[in-house]
Amino acid sequence: MRRVIGFALVIACAAVAAAVAGAAQTDAARTAKAKPKLPPLPAEVKERGRWNIGIKCDSPPFGYIDVQGRNAGFDVEIAKWFSRFAFGRANRVSYTCVTTPAREPALTTGRVDLVIATFTYTPDRDTRIDFSRAYYKATGRLLVRNNSPITKLSDIAGRTIATTSGSIYDRWMKNCFKDTKVVVTDSFTNALLAFRDGRADALMWDDTVLLGIAVADPNLKLTDDLFLPLPYGIGIKQGNDAMKRWVDSRLNLMSKRDAFMPLIKASVPAKNLAAFSKNVLRPNQVFYYSKGDLTTQCQ
Amino acid sequence: MPDWVDPVGHYMLEQGLRGTLELAAISLVGALVIGVVLGTLLTIHFKPLTWTIRLYIEVWRGLPILVTIFIIFFALPAISQELEFSPLTAAGIGLILWGSAQVAEATRGAVGSIPREQHEAAAALGFGWVGRHVFVILPQALRRLLPPVVGLLVNIIQNTTIAQVIGATELLESGERSVERLTAPPPIGLGEIHAFEIYGAVMVVFFVLSFPLTRLAAYLERRLA
Amino acid sequence: MSVVAFEWGYLADYGGDLAAGLWRTIYVSAIAIAGAFVIGLVLGAARAHRVPVVRQLAAVYVEVIRNTPILVQIFMLYFALPEIGIRLDAFTVAWLSVMVWGGAFNTENFRAGFEAVPARFHEAALGLGFGRLGTFLNVTLPIGGRIALPSSINTYISILKNTSLLYVISYPELTTTALQINALTLQTVETFTVLAVTYLALVWSMSAGIRLLEGHLALPETR
Repeated sequence: MRRVIGFALVIACAAVAAAVAGAAQTDAARTAKAKPKLPPLPAEVKERGRWNIGIKCDSPPFGYIDVQGRNAGFDVEIAKWFSRFAFGRANRVSYTCVTTPAREPALTTGRVDLVIATFTYTPDRDTRIDFSRAYYKATGRLLVRNNSPITKLSDIAGRTIATTSGSIYDRWMKNCFKDTKVVVTDSFTNALLAFRDGRADALMWDDTVLLGIAVADPNLKLTDDLFLPLPYGIGIKQGNDAMKRWVDSRLNLMSKRDAFMPLIKASVPAKNLAAFSKNVLRPNQVFYYSKGDLTTQCQ
Repeated sequence: MPDWVDPVGHYMLEQGLRGTLELAAISLVGALVIGVVLGTLLTIHFKPLTWTIRLYIEVWRGLPILVTIFIIFFALPAISQELEFSPLTAAGIGLILWGSAQVAEATRGAVGSIPREQHEAAAALGFGWVGRHVFVILPQALRRLLPPVVGLLVNIIQNTTIAQVIGATELLESGERSVERLTAPPPIGLGEIHAFEIYGAVMVVFFVLSFPLTRLAAYLERRLA
Repeated sequence: MSVVAFEWGYLADYGGDLAAGLWRTIYVSAIAIAGAFVIGLVLGAARAHRVPVVRQLAAVYVEVIRNTPILVQIFMLYFALPEIGIRLDAFTVAWLSVMVWGGAFNTENFRAGFEAVPARFHEAALGLGFGRLGTFLNVTLPIGGRIALPSSINTYISILKNTSLLYVISYPELTTTALQINALTLQTVETFTVLAVTYLALVWSMSAGIRLLEGHLALPETR
């Protein structure tokens, strides 16, 4: 009798196991059809076994050299994520320091696969290189002294404003604020110095950096205006569709996992975190590139 | 010593200074090899050759080194994708072009100052043009070149800083990156400006490298001239 | 952008900006050359005549400036001085940096020139009743100055070329202007061709012009 019951139990278990397996198989088949495969890693990167990525080395918080002399920053962390996605380890990246004018040539000559270096999308740049989907949205702000007569954007008429040469701000002011004198410099540090020198009445640049300065210096503040939304994209060599598909898909993944928040937390002072959380991609969020040339759209 | 000094010092000396010294060494060797050859060729009385080398010398001495380096780094890749160089390589090529022009000029003077009798004696012994120059003329000329070459080394060491402008990792650039990091607010940096200490330290390092060499050049000038 | 398709319209569009940059290069160089001349003359004389205190200070000045890179000196003046409260604007740093640099080299040029004046000329002057200052102004300076001419000229030409380094403080001289145009337009070949040709024209004509002057000013026995 016990043998019969034991036998029946075994058959029952086997039946249940078969049923479960069968169900799982149909389930897997269903999900396999529903979840499309992620785009594969582009061949040249796979063969090499490493990424070649261009980043900034003197622009905190996006790309800088940390205390141990290693590359660090928001953009560098994204590079490490890409390394994990591609090779399972975060250190399969060869970093190349790029200065602002060297970003495009680094892509067009193939020195790097990607440029993750505070690279603002512009339709003009789009004619020479490709951009990934936007991963960070900086906004233009105005930094002024506490007692400055400039309290809003329209006050810059007839005054002197410092910014970096060739930047969105430079072009926008030249187009839309013709009676504003623009002092341009080759780097942000020089523009800041020009403003501090008194050679300019205000400094126009990305909110990320200006906020840090306003916070550190009690004599300076930002006006309330937000203008020129400037999404950063990852620079890709023009025509490399396989690369673009891969990069966009992984950025989507990172966005879904809210992976950008910890990166920004590590980069900015705690009291500014709330302000900056609006600049990073949160789950299910999309930053759009303006198709038109923003620098010609005057308010 | 404040806390920030140690890591910054390590980074600047281990990575920055190393880049500077590598760049200087490669530039010196390249400038010497090319410059001595060109300078010796300049003594041949063959107009097309003389004019070509003279043009080379006047162009690379006439252009500011920064402009030469910009051309190599930005303009060459625009002409052909093959001509794409890293910041340190582009700086090296620029310094070699300039340095070789200087050496060529000095070599021409040194070779030209060797008396005719030396050439005639060597020819009488059966040396051809190349043999004559390699075994008799150049050894004497190179002795006279020693003071200006030491002076050139000092100039090359100092001119390696121009590579900073295109972002090469040498001493000045490593200092600038450190200043940027320290200036950023915490958690990244300290929110403090330490430009004076860091750039001052860069000046001290270059002084320590250059001053003995300058003295050496002056000493050699007195002894060999 | 291939070499063959050089856009000649480039000059029409950007010639004005580049001319403005060129003017600033010449202007800053002129101020610095004049200053370096005076510094070289005064300190060179002080060193050659062993004027106490001044000669030691001059020696320190010369050795520090000649043994450190000019680019680091520019960084110090523009980026480091503000930390100790001295805020100089870009134009001041522009002429001051190249002037201080050129002055150090010129001091050595003039010192060598003055020391090369043959002793018999000094003795002759003293014999004629000139005092120390008189000897200097009437004998040492004219003769020593001419001996120093070739090396001084090289220093002045180097001053002109070194103004290109003011790119790092964004003073809008020729090189800075050209790079800014390149950043906006990416017409790289045109920009750098114009830049190179302009500098060569400047340096070569300055060289040639001063060689002519040298010919006129040369001492009788060296003609």
